[in-house]
Amino acid sequence: MVKELYSNLDESQLVKASIEGDKNAFTQIVDRYQNMVARTVKGMLGDSVFAEDIGQEVFIKLYYSLSEFRGEAKLSTYIQKIAVNLTLNEIKRRKRFFSMFAQKGNAEMHEFEVADHDHETRNDAKELVNKALIGLEPKFRIILTMRMLQGYSTKETAEILNLPLGTVLSRLSRAQEQLRDILNKLS
Amino acid sequence: MKPIRIKELITESLSSEKDTSGIMSELEESGVNYSFGNGFRDKVIDKIYSASLTVHREVDMVKSMNTVFYRIALTGAAAIIIMLISIFLTEGSLSINSVFGLSDNYNESIVCMLTGN
Repeated sequence: MVKELYSNLDESQLVKASIEGDKNAFTQIVDRYQNMVARTVKGMLGDSVFAEDIGQEVFIKLYYSLSEFRGEAKLSTYIQKIAVNLTLNEIKRRKRFFSMFAQKGNAEMHEFEVADHDHETRNDAKELVNKALIGLEPKFRIILTMRMLQGYSTKETAEILNLPLGTVLSRLSRAQEQLRDILNKLS
Repeated sequence: MKPIRIKELITESLSSEKDTSGIMSELEESGVNYSFGNGFRDKVIDKIYSASLTVHREVDMVKSMNTVFYRIALTGAAAIIIMLISIFLTEGSLSINSVFGLSDNYNESIVCMLTGN
């Protein structure tokens, strides 16, 4: 009954109620957007517990920054930006870690990411998608994630990634070249 | 869905002219889906609301400490003022000697007082 009541509220009402401390309202926000966040985080980091931790962090960060949300953009865009930032930060953190402590640096990081993407993969289609994603450099992978897994237009992708449209377009064409090589190797 | 179709969908995603809004649903039909494990929502809610309870308790404690501090400081200040007034009334001045109660004592009487003779 309560759940039904909250599922009928629009995002501005849910945000307002959450700021006022309504736990059910924020639960509804998590319910509504968790799959969207999962697609971004797991698409970028793989199907692992690390991705789940980042997913939790996205909603915790959202909760503490809700009062800064002015409603000029959609809530989904706001959440997506948080997810992208935290995911890219995690990739940077991993890169720093592997460059400091691993002998082979980036190669070991790549092996680690491949292992994460292979985790729990029981489906050929998903395996293919994961291999295509992991083969791309993170700056191209995020664009493929936004386009393929979230269905955003190039303009929306540019807005979420906080990049000029021209940069997104050039990265799309460079990513296509990389992807062609990856897919050829997979066949 | 055949692997060749999956590859086509991946490649189409990177075409700037292509509307990609339907690609995910097509991929989902062939089992490509991303979701968090069971209990994800509960973990998030627990973390947020248990943390905010701790913060509230800490804030309450700091507030009560502030109140206690003000009460002690005000009581102390009032005691000092009352003591100074009583010294002024009994000694007629607020010199250091009168504050220490030495105004009526000569050096000899202090020696007598300290030695007990």
